[in-house]
Amino acid sequence: MSEHDDDHHHDAPASPYHRSDRSAEHNKALAERVAKIESLLIAKGLVDKGALDKLVDIYENDLGPMNGAKVVARAWVDPDYKQRLLGNATAAIAELGFGGLQGEHMVVVENTPQVHNIVVCTLCSCYPWPVLGLPPTWYKDAAYRSRVVIDPRGVLTEFGTTLDDNVEVRVWDSSAEIRYLVLPERPAGTEHLNEDQLVELIDRDSMIGVKKVRLS
Amino acid sequence: MSEERLARPDIAEMAGAYALPRKSGEMVFHDEWERRAFAIAVSLAEQGQLEWREFQQQLIESIAKAEQGDPQNPSRGYYESWLASLEALLRQKLLLGDRVD
Repeated sequence: MSEHDDDHHHDAPASPYHRSDRSAEHNKALAERVAKIESLLIAKGLVDKGALDKLVDIYENDLGPMNGAKVVARAWVDPDYKQRLLGNATAAIAELGFGGLQGEHMVVVENTPQVHNIVVCTLCSCYPWPVLGLPPTWYKDAAYRSRVVIDPRGVLTEFGTTLDDNVEVRVWDSSAEIRYLVLPERPAGTEHLNEDQLVELIDRDSMIGVKKVRLS
Repeated sequence: MSEERLARPDIAEMAGAYALPRKSGEMVFHDEWERRAFAIAVSLAEQGQLEWREFQQQLIESIAKAEQGDPQNPSRGYYESWLASLEALLRQKLLLGDRVD
């Protein structure tokens, strides 16, 4: 783990596949190849147009941190919902239509001016996918998994998060049975924002607890 | 929504150079055809029409070929390699043969 100490990766390196510089013609040719396969398979009854749309929707939308952001924003604007969320997170999250993993209980821990929560999975990489999507690379790293327990403030500093000395830091170890989600503090100056605008502010790292939500 | 697990982890959580391109967990598609190509392969796998391991192997080879010169500047996009793999497998299994397995 020492090799990670000086150069702790906070996310996977930028992938060359995050950009695209194809020409319109090239794209058109590729689109035609895909359309050809699709119609052949539909003719053979091997794929179904509706099923394809649903499938893309699942992989693309149901897995991102967007779901968690919606949960957090709702809790910020609706005190009753927040109450339910802290009481029974699995049920409250299901109210918004998210969930579905078997045998998994969600627990939401609330950040306050006195308490800062961080989530880890010391054993492997248990992570609340239905609300956060796939875990970032660093979450699975031995460096993060072991160090966040021993020196949570040090790890937070690496993420650019500094806390006052009087703030208590709590580290939550996820397991196959219980998965934690941090309810970050609503930043000052967001009183005028509506729920949808708040969703935009909330990112994955704030719900793992390594960062705070910032108004930027 | 209490259906079974949403996405197959062996697909969604592929690792290494052939991992699905994502930014902060969100999938990256540049064009609609990429989305369709993704969906077709996954749909075939979910129905058992295509063996995911086999597709993945093909994809690994396809991407390795594209990254031969410079891994940071592959000769084609991720989903172009994906499409090439899908076509190759379909030629073997479905389109040019009679057998559907």
